[in-house]
Amino acid sequence: MKCIITIELGTNAVRIFAFDLNGIVIGSMKGFYPTFHSQPDYSEQDPEQIFITMLYVLKNLLNEKIHPKKYKVASICFSSSMHSLLAVDKHGVPLCNAFTWADNRAKNEAKEIRGSALADAIYDSTGTPLHPMSPMLKIAWMKKNDAQTFKQAGKFLSIKSYVIYQLTGEYLIDYSLACATGMLNIHTINWETQALDFAGITPDKLPQLVPVFASAGKLKKAYQNSLGLKDDIKILAGSSDGCMATLGAGIWKSDKATITIEDSSAVRVVGNKMLHDEKKRVFNYLITEDCFVSGGPSNSGGGIFEWFAKQFGDFTTAYDIESCMNSLLQEATKVITGSEGILFLPYLLGERAPIWNPDARGMYFGINIKHERQHFIRATIEGILYEIYSIGKMLNEHRNISSLSVNGSFATIPFCAQIISDMFNKPVDVTRNANSVSIGAFLLAATDMGIYKSLDEAASQIEVGERYSPAENNHKIYMKYFEIFESLTNKLGDEFEKIAELQ
Amino acid sequence: MLQFLYQQGATSGLSQFPHILELSAKKNASIQLQSFPEQVVEGLCIYFINEGRFEWKINEQRHVLFPGDVVLILPGQKFGNEKGILDLGSITWVQIKIQKLESGELVPGKWSGMSDHESVAVGKLLSLNNNPVLSKLTDGGRILNSIAFEIHHHELGFVTRINQLIDELLITITRQLTKQNNPPRDFPKVFMNLEASLRKDLSHQWSVEEMAAIAGMGTTLFNERVKNFTGFTPINYLINIRISEAIKLLKKKEVSITDIALDTGFYSSQHFSTTFKKLTGYTPGEFRKNNSYHE
Repeated sequence: MKCIITIELGTNAVRIFAFDLNGIVIGSMKGFYPTFHSQPDYSEQDPEQIFITMLYVLKNLLNEKIHPKKYKVASICFSSSMHSLLAVDKHGVPLCNAFTWADNRAKNEAKEIRGSALADAIYDSTGTPLHPMSPMLKIAWMKKNDAQTFKQAGKFLSIKSYVIYQLTGEYLIDYSLACATGMLNIHTINWETQALDFAGITPDKLPQLVPVFASAGKLKKAYQNSLGLKDDIKILAGSSDGCMATLGAGIWKSDKATITIEDSSAVRVVGNKMLHDEKKRVFNYLITEDCFVSGGPSNSGGGIFEWFAKQFGDFTTAYDIESCMNSLLQEATKVITGSEGILFLPYLLGERAPIWNPDARGMYFGINIKHERQHFIRATIEGILYEIYSIGKMLNEHRNISSLSVNGSFATIPFCAQIISDMFNKPVDVTRNANSVSIGAFLLAATDMGIYKSLDEAASQIEVGERYSPAENNHKIYMKYFEIFESLTNKLGDEFEKIAELQ
Repeated sequence: MLQFLYQQGATSGLSQFPHILELSAKKNASIQLQSFPEQVVEGLCIYFINEGRFEWKINEQRHVLFPGDVVLILPGQKFGNEKGILDLGSITWVQIKIQKLESGELVPGKWSGMSDHESVAVGKLLSLNNNPVLSKLTDGGRILNSIAFEIHHHELGFVTRINQLIDELLITITRQLTKQNNPPRDFPKVFMNLEASLRKDLSHQWSVEEMAAIAGMGTTLFNERVKNFTGFTPINYLINIRISEAIKLLKKKEVSITDIALDTGFYSSQHFSTTFKKLTGYTPGEFRKNNSYHE
């Protein structure tokens, strides 16, 4: 029996799944790796530890779940978080830790380019918002602030490219992840010269561009031996976690949008061309030549609610953070729609879409003497979801979204799914799969093997769960509050900057 | 309150306890100059504040102390009052001679009834600790009073009893400081603190007991939490860090493989080699050869 293995190099952990050819999970394991914050704005990971953790988990999964049952691994498909940057020397040895997507050290470079004449031209060709997360800006930062490393660098890789290089000896990056570097021209599918010039590098410093279905080369002999794998396994370059979560959620039609809310969140649509946003707020990631995943990411999400629970939750009876959050949710349901007038801006971690302001900060607004604890709970949840709505509203300027699908631990909480439906005034389908990234990677590999004719057909295999329908009345209430939410966010630009400077 | 002062060598009473350098209770009713200057301490000092408010400088940091606080001063640290005076109030303290290993770690002596494993863990945690004040640890005062009672009365079995009480004091303090240093609701944070401690001292032969103690929990709960959070047992997670660091060193040519093995916490180069090969398919030597370049 054949099986497909998917490897997701996520923000905090590697998750490896094994699927049979019908898409049934045979086994899965994860391995955590740490993120280091040696200075404010720095967010780094050790590439060697990521590689070793991946190898260790893969070996355990093979030895415990695959080899004993005599499954034959047909292919291994990679996905990873976006925007990571790792400088290696000309022999492929890392010169320092990898910078993760959350690394904000390039914020001055971001300000510089956003104020320049280049901004429009680079967004037009790359379709990627100009934000410190972008590897283009991280390289520009390194050139200015760590010239030694910059000079020594033989290649600038993503974490996924490094892991694949370790396994097969090939330097490559797939189109979708290359989009996330901010340096791929999505029209010509080649590195964009203006972006490279800004970063200060030439194309030979970057890995080779390949389609998501491309073979990433043969597994090195030593790894074949230690993992017990044959040399005929296809290793797929694969894609990014965001693109795979979209595929895995089964959203592949242009009038549908998918909302993912885990610790952070994203709203995405799929279409056959780039969404050209005049304000440069929308990302466009290319999966195949005629298939774009477009949308907006938010720093806000379940992580913000967890923060609230840790600070204000009742731990006298709660066993752990989950049960504490559950009892908070219970309390929130007792408050009416709109929290009787408290608004919460969820920008505790700054914000990406739609305002793209790393200095944005959180606030509660409209508090009066009658408000009680439970109003704050509900307001916090509503605030997180207003932010999601504002991304949806931004996408709606480009696409007529008629229905929504939600996934991720926070969005699939029934209370939240209903609020999303009410806010958007649209039906919401809940996908319960906790692992849509891995399912997406499975569908990609299965399509490559010819099990599905196309990614469209693969996506249509995903079954949706319950459907939530909007309540017109609630929608009206939410819209009144959202108007204030939006104008507060827009008005506070200067104050955000001033308070962030003091912190 | 009864005041007393036992000092090793100077007063009788401690002759059967060579590991106790000093045991004392003092009620200070008047301020005197040069009564409490900053000094480097020889043994491990444990103070309990009964009454009053004290301003002390411990290891170059200022602390204000209140009744119920236990203060822990490690051997070789400087401590006292900046102006040299002892504030009004009453305190009880004991100073214990504790073995300091070459590695800088502390180990309770032979008098202790703790198992080897536990005494290494307690010593490790005491030496890692950088907050000398444990607030509201009234148990500390109770145990010190019991020690004093035993010393005054010499009842049957008092030698054994006192040594047990010192063990109890050390254990109570160690447990409290791991609790105090760990936010109770935030396992990821607790784990990252532990992670940092492991990295700082990777060549140490960490036991699960020590790791669990740093995280402020029992080993059963600790194992379960770590497995849940990382996907690995604590020891396997540690192996991850060890191999990752070893790989970095292998890619630099200066360090010998034996040194790498010991620096990253393997028992021997043999142990390193086996573990490394099992995971990567390469021996460390082969790996180095594949990743070194002749320029």
